[in-house]
Amino acid sequence: MLATLAQAVVNGLLIGGIYALVSIGVTLIFGVVKIVNFAQGEFVMIGMYISFFLASTFGVDPLLSLLISMPSLFAIGVLLQHFLIRRVLALGDMPQIFLTFALSLLLMNIALLLFTANYRTVQTPYSELTFHIGPVYFAVAKLIAFAIAMLLSALLYLFLHGTDLGKAMRAAAQNREVAMLMGINPDRVFCVAVGVALALAGAAGSLLMPFYPAYPLVGQIFVLMAFVAVVLGTLGNITGALIASLMMGVAESLGVQFVGADSGLIVVFVMLLLTLAFRPNGLFGGWAR
Amino acid sequence: MTHIWKTRPWFWVAVLAAIALVLPLVVSNPFAVDIFIRVLLFAFIGVAWNLMGGYAKQLSLGHAAYFGLGAYTSTILLIRFGISPWIGIIAGGVVAMLASLPIGALCFRLRGPYFAIATIATAQVLMLLFLKFRDFAWGAEGTTLPNLGDAPLMMQFDSKAAYYYLALALLALGLAITYRIERSWMGFYLVAVGEDEDAAEAIGVDTTKIKRHIYLISAFLTALGGTFYIQYIYFIDPNTAFSFNISVEAALVSIVGGIGTLWGPVVGTILLEATSALLQSWFGSGHGGVQLTVYSLILVSVILWRPSGLIGVFSDLYRRFTYAGAARAKEVPLDG
Repeated sequence: MLATLAQAVVNGLLIGGIYALVSIGVTLIFGVVKIVNFAQGEFVMIGMYISFFLASTFGVDPLLSLLISMPSLFAIGVLLQHFLIRRVLALGDMPQIFLTFALSLLLMNIALLLFTANYRTVQTPYSELTFHIGPVYFAVAKLIAFAIAMLLSALLYLFLHGTDLGKAMRAAAQNREVAMLMGINPDRVFCVAVGVALALAGAAGSLLMPFYPAYPLVGQIFVLMAFVAVVLGTLGNITGALIASLMMGVAESLGVQFVGADSGLIVVFVMLLLTLAFRPNGLFGGWAR
Repeated sequence: MTHIWKTRPWFWVAVLAAIALVLPLVVSNPFAVDIFIRVLLFAFIGVAWNLMGGYAKQLSLGHAAYFGLGAYTSTILLIRFGISPWIGIIAGGVVAMLASLPIGALCFRLRGPYFAIATIATAQVLMLLFLKFRDFAWGAEGTTLPNLGDAPLMMQFDSKAAYYYLALALLALGLAITYRIERSWMGFYLVAVGEDEDAAEAIGVDTTKIKRHIYLISAFLTALGGTFYIQYIYFIDPNTAFSFNISVEAALVSIVGGIGTLWGPVVGTILLEATSALLQSWFGSGHGGVQLTVYSLILVSVILWRPSGLIGVFSDLYRRFTYAGAARAKEVPLDG
C-alpha cells in the first residue's frame, strides 16, 4: 500500500516536471504579454514531431534534438509574437483569446493532414530502462526528462533575475508603461518572452519523445494541465506554476492509481473547480499581476 | 418616392422567413435538407451562445455542457420513463438552467481567457462523469433511441422537413428572444458589462446578477438544441452530447458572423456550413482535418481583418445600397 502510494507520487512528480515546462511557458506569456496562449500544447506537439523526424530520419537521440527543437521553437515564437499576437494586443478579449485558440485548431489539423492520426514513437536505449530504490521503480527516460526540465526551469529563473533582458521582461510584466519610460522596448521584450515560452514547450516535446507517443492531438492534454496549474499557481507566477504543475502530476497519478484509470483528468478538473471556489487567486502571490 | 425594400429592414426579414419556410418544399434532396437542418441548429446554438458571449462578452467555451445536459435529460426521461421529448426538452432546459447557477458562480470569478478555460473544464467534467457512470446513463457506449416511426407526439418524424421546421422554430425563438433583450434594459446592461465590467459596476449595474440571468437564458436555449439534435440523430453518447466541437462551433459561428449582433450567428453559420459542405464534396469526408483547418484559417482572418465579424460587410453593402434612396435606413441597419 505504502509502496503503491510512493510509486504513484514518484510517477506523478516525474511527469509533473514536463507539465511544469508547459505551464511555465503559459504563465510567462500571460505575465509579460497578457495573452493566454491556447496553442501552447500544439508547440509541444511540434517539438515532439521535430524530435521524431530527427530520430527516424537521421537517428538523432531525442535528448540531443533539444538543441534543434528549442531554437526552432524560439524562432517560431518570435515570429508568432511579431506577426500575429502583436496585432491583437490593443483589441479586446475576444480577438486575444480566439487568435491563439484558432492557431491551436489550425496547427492540430495541419498536423492531422500532414502526419495522419497515427501514434509515432521513438525507441531509445534508455526507453525501457528502470532502476529501483527499495520498492519504488524509476523509469530512466522520465527521470532524465524531469532532471532536464528542472534544470531549464532553474536557468529561466536565473535569466529572469540575473540578466538585463530578464529584468526588463519582469519590469514590462509589472508595468508596461513605466517600463517603456525606462527605455525598455516592449516589442522586443515580448518577442523574447514568447520565444522563450515556446522553446520550453519544444523542450517538453523533445523530452517526452523517448517515452510518450507523438500524435496531432497530443498537445491538448498538456495544455489543459498547464491551464489548471497556472490558475492554481496564481496567474503570471512562475514559481507558482512550477510547484502547481508538480502537484497536478501527483494528483493525476494518485487519481489514476486509486480512483480508476480514466479518472486522472476528473481529479485534475475537480482541483481546478475547487481552486476557483476557494482560492480564485491561486495558492501563491505573483511577481507579475 | 422610396421603395419599401429600401426603408424597411422588416421587409427583408419577411422575405428571409418566406424563403426559409418554402425551402424544404422546393428542395427535396435529403442531403441538402440535412445541411439546412445543421445550419438552423448551429445558428440557433450560436444565437444562444451569442447572448452571453456576444453581448456580455463572457466568452464561454463550455456550452457543450448545456447541450449535453439537455440531450441526456430528455433521453433519460424518454427511455427510462417513457416521457415525451416535448416535455423532456423543457425539462432539459430547466436542468441546464439549474446547472448554470453553480457553474456560473464558479466561473464568473474569472475573467476573459480564464473564464473560457474554466468553462471548458466544466463541460469536460460533465463528459467524464457521464462516461464513467454507466448505470446512470449508458456510459461510453451510449444508446440508440427507440425508433417509433412517425410519432409527432414523441418528437419523431418520418419526413426530414418536419425536423427542418422544428429547427427553424427554435432559431426563430432564439432570434426573437435576442431581439427583445437587445431592446430592453437588460440588453443595455449586458453591453455595458461586455464593454467594461468595472465601469458597469461603478455606474450601478449589478454585474453578477446580470451575468447570472443571461447565463440562465443561454443555458436553457442551448439545452433545447441538445434535445433536438439527439432526437434527430437517434443516438446519444457522452462524446457526441458533450463534444468540445459543439462548444467551439457555437463560439465560432458567432465570431465569424459578428458577436453581439442579432444576425451574426446566422450569417456565420451559413458561411461556415456552406464552406464545410463544399469541402466535403471536393475532398470527400475521408480527410480528417481539412474542415477544421479551413475553419481556423477563416477564424484567424476574421480576427485579424474584421474582428467585428463578417456581418459588417453585409450591412455595409446594405447601407450603400439603401443610402441613395433613404437616409432613414442608415439609422436602422439590418443588424439593429
